[in-house]
Amino acid sequence: MIRFENVGMRYGMGSEVLKDISFTLERGSFHFLVGPSGAGKTSLLKLLYLAHRPSRGLIHYFGNDTTEMSRLELPKIRRRIGVVFQDFRLFDHLTAFENVAMPLQINGAKKAQVAGHVEELLEWVGLKDRMHAKPPTLSGGEKQRVAIARAVINKPDLLVADEPTGNVDPEIAKRLIHLFSELNKTGTTTVVATHDESIVEAVGAPVLHLNKGELEKQRGFKYQPYDKAVHAAQGTIDGPAEQSRRAAILQGGKQDG
Amino acid sequence: MVNIFYRSARFLPERAAGEGLLPWVIGVMIFLCTLSFSLTSSLGAGLEKWSESLTNSLAIQIVTENEAERDSQTDAVMRMLEATPGIKGVSVAAQSDVLALLAPWLGDIPIGSGLPLPTLIDVELEDGNALNIEALRERLKATAPNASVDDHQEWMNRIIEFAAVLRIALTGVMFMVILSTIAIVIFGCRTSLATHRESIEIMHLIGAEDSMIARAFMDRYLVHGLLGGVGGVLLAGGLLLLLANIAEDIGQGLISASVPDLSIIGWLILIPLISGTLTMTTAFVTVRRALSKML
Ligand SMILES: Nc1ncnc2c1ncn2[C@@H]1O[C@H](COP(=O)(O)OP(=O)(O)OP(=O)(O)O)[C@@H](O)[C@H]1O
Ligand SMILES: [Mg+2]
Repeated sequence: MIRFENVGMRYGMGSEVLKDISFTLERGSFHFLVGPSGAGKTSLLKLLYLAHRPSRGLIHYFGNDTTEMSRLELPKIRRRIGVVFQDFRLFDHLTAFENVAMPLQINGAKKAQVAGHVEELLEWVGLKDRMHAKPPTLSGGEKQRVAIARAVINKPDLLVADEPTGNVDPEIAKRLIHLFSELNKTGTTTVVATHDESIVEAVGAPVLHLNKGELEKQRGFKYQPYDKAVHAAQGTIDGPAEQSRRAAILQGGKQDG
Repeated sequence: MVNIFYRSARFLPERAAGEGLLPWVIGVMIFLCTLSFSLTSSLGAGLEKWSESLTNSLAIQIVTENEAERDSQTDAVMRMLEATPGIKGVSVAAQSDVLALLAPWLGDIPIGSGLPLPTLIDVELEDGNALNIEALRERLKATAPNASVDDHQEWMNRIIEFAAVLRIALTGVMFMVILSTIAIVIFGCRTSLATHRESIEIMHLIGAEDSMIARAFMDRYLVHGLLGGVGGVLLAGGLLLLLANIAEDIGQGLISASVPDLSIIGWLILIPLISGTLTMTTAFVTVRRALSKML
């Protein structure tokens, strides 16, 4: 579904921060992206969520070659991508609710449709009581959960998360990763950049190792079922009823853009 | 701020630094513009009305020390004028009227004091001005060597020239004001674009189209333009009403003819709409151009 071929990237006139990146993400796969600070994880994700153009190479998206795409065609593809930014990038003057509702509004959803869905999702990430708070009054972990809710509200085809568990305690980290995996099970291709070894181990999904701008070991590139691993990871947080309820929430969140 | 379009979705903060001044600046611009616009248009109309009332009449004077000569020439001129087509009426001013006209220079002089007085003949022309003034002058010279025509043309020409220059100047002022308004809006727009660059980028990344983002700016600048337009027009309209009142006291003449009447003031209601459209369109073009340079 997404294919990188010999992709290089540089900022402005600087030297290449990504070199010769080639990989394929199958529909519905789950990948971790790891590597030391400065390796180029965020840069690679920027290419993935179309915030930056590669300086060379080809990137295929849902059957389109983005290198030949005009910028007028980008919004349509971007709406199929959910992004959790490393620095959240929430709108500080909007409430948590309004931030999460934004992608739905951009998609042209009706106000009435939006409200219930946003509330449910915020409840699920444990922020129902902070729904009308603005980001500057939220803690780092709370902001992160708002950012995640905004990224998944549209039930994207591709979910890209940059250090989504960097600011939350292990319990919440598990919940968030579980949320990602639930979404992934409904077909969302997922890429998570992280430093958190424990999550990578617990989930057991294939890993892309990035070092100094190059993909190191190309292991585990084919999509593998990892449900078992995920279930092991989510441990005993929730009973089956809670799980099916969540699945229903995620299912209900399908928005065709 | 009014959120006119739901889809523009308030991604811009309510108040942006410096933007609050914009309606005021636009207000001043619209005030100047409205003033020069209504003065230009009414100056033209007033001049026409006024010169029409003057060119429908002319005066002939016969000046000579010899009273007998004067009277015979007067008779000859009267006969000639009565035979001329295009003339509605002719009347010789009474000696007392002539004396009254001269009083400011000569003081009170009784009739029959022996002072040689000129004859003044008022000629009322038919509408449409079929009369050829130059031909009349020629014939008058043949009929009465001491007669001269005053058709007000000479000094009226000077006033018309003055008014024309004034109109050009005011039109120039108007255009300069419109151009500076556009420049100010462009400048304001670029500033807000820079201020909100981060928000715009997020909007782009979560799939907003340029039109959606531009819409938010257009809403905002439409409101600025409407507010400024209403303010400026109210101020200018008030001033014009005041001028109209004063001019009424002055009475007939160029000044009162040139003050806009209420029908023009009615048209002023359109100006806020025009100013809103202008600022909105300027914002649209500026923002779309800037957005097209982003990814
Ligand atoms: N906007 C930018 N302009 C210029 N250089 C940049 C920019 N952003 C990142 N870089 C450089 O690109 C390289 C890769 O940075 P990147 O942010 O992708 O690393 P990262 O793997 O995400 O690191 P971290 O784990 O600390 O988030 C670094 O050397 C960094 O200095
Ligand atoms: Mg990073």
